[in-house]
Amino acid sequence: MKRILAVVVALAVALSLTPPVGAQQDTMAKIKESGVLTIGTRTGSPPFAYINKDNQWVGFSIDLVEQLVKPAVEKEVGRAVKVEKKESTPPTRIPLLSANSVDLIAGTMTDTPQRREVVDFSLTFFYTGAQFLVKKGSPIKGVNDIAGKRIASQQASTNAKIIRERYPQAQLREFPDQPAAFQALLQGQVDAFTNDGIQLAGLKAKAPNPAEWEIVGDFYSEEPYGMAMRKGDARLKAAVDGGLKNGFESGKYFEIYEKWFGPKGELPYPLTATVKAYLLKQIGK
Amino acid sequence: MNYQFNWSVLWSGQSGGWLLHGLLLTLAISVLAWVLAAVLGIVSGAMRTVPWKPLRVIATFYVEFFRNVPLLVWMFFWYFGVPPLLPRVVQDWLFNHSAEFWAGMFALGVYHGARMSEIIRAGILSIPRTQFEAAVAMGLTTFQVYRLIIVPIALRLIVPPATNDSLNLLKNSSVALTISVAELTFQARQVETYTAKAIEALTAGTVIYLVLCLGIAAIMTRVERRFAIPGLIARGG
Repeated sequence: MKRILAVVVALAVALSLTPPVGAQQDTMAKIKESGVLTIGTRTGSPPFAYINKDNQWVGFSIDLVEQLVKPAVEKEVGRAVKVEKKESTPPTRIPLLSANSVDLIAGTMTDTPQRREVVDFSLTFFYTGAQFLVKKGSPIKGVNDIAGKRIASQQASTNAKIIRERYPQAQLREFPDQPAAFQALLQGQVDAFTNDGIQLAGLKAKAPNPAEWEIVGDFYSEEPYGMAMRKGDARLKAAVDGGLKNGFESGKYFEIYEKWFGPKGELPYPLTATVKAYLLKQIGK
Repeated sequence: MNYQFNWSVLWSGQSGGWLLHGLLLTLAISVLAWVLAAVLGIVSGAMRTVPWKPLRVIATFYVEFFRNVPLLVWMFFWYFGVPPLLPRVVQDWLFNHSAEFWAGMFALGVYHGARMSEIIRAGILSIPRTQFEAAVAMGLTTFQVYRLIIVPIALRLIVPPATNDSLNLLKNSSVALTISVAELTFQARQVETYTAKAIEALTAGTVIYLVLCLGIAAIMTRVERRFAIPGLIARGG
């Protein structure tokens, strides 16, 4: 037993002595050298980032990077930059970032105070809140009806956290990704799936019978989406924010919004006046 | 950009409790799955060596079918595939009573049963043919030969590989998090989500698995020594 203990202690010591991850050179210098901006994004979160029918990796968040952030980064490093996409999910995105596997998370990540302790966030580029997706006619009409009900959520998401803390009577079931959670809802393993309203709208639109499902409840959480970077990555943050700011000012952002969320977009989700004001307030308008 | 270590996140707040819950759930699902795997493994492993073809065919089918499909697929199969085959009332009852736990347990147990079966078979095949013949000559039926002689000897021979696969089973229980079983890996990730301290949280998970596995290995080494059959199994240190 003693020997085993010694091994464990040795391992723990070795681990704590490992040099801190992410202490290398500045990200912008790296981009300047390689000409590549690596982003972590999603493959199954339409319309933010997903693989479409033609097998292309596209989405609103990806467009924002390609059309707003990329030019700003290019201007900063003084050369053409290629955007490389890698898959990242809520549980993997912060580790990917701190391990330097990606430079920027551009998907559906909510900007929270806790996360701000470990990563930096760009300006908010989308604003939504948590709701429930249920079968039409379900007794669940909002967050006050979930006591004793089986509620699916996505592992490591802010919604799961809120349900666990504020609504402990609900039976929370956490799945690693949206498709699994949605499958559980389709088959009745759970009574409702909670996620950010916009993502539920995306899932509903892609469901075999969209009319069978409805999104219920007021936003019980605020979910401002931001792009995340390693903490202290000031030059990259300045470029990303600059790009987004430019987009808000020039109206390019709203064009991209129209493309994905407009009446003819992938997922109609009109920009409300409140949300628009919220976004513009960030740049002092 | 330096990563700031903060190990206290592991015992402050709810982290400690979560990890403990995860540990207990990992142990519960692993122990139950291990019992299932052992039963299935012994029965099918023995069946594969009996002198009656239909039994051998059934056992071979079980082994090849279950060990040749990834465990992750089995998790989804037992959780998403099996319930719709049951009556609606049973489904609802199951879903309210930890369906994910039982699905995960079955996936793990049935999958590892197939692997255990091969280990048992190897143990049986390593027993000299003369043992069978001597037992039959004593007037025992085939079932008695297996129950009283062959299986007990085989079990004493296969302790090292069985330990190996038992440890695999314990570690594979982490795959159950894909069907929302809140076991140890899930909880380690949860700590990570709450504290945003990935390295600390995952190290805690790693160390707990390591301690568990080393503990089991140490116990099994003793079992191995205690039950080794002199002359049939090489003595280890």
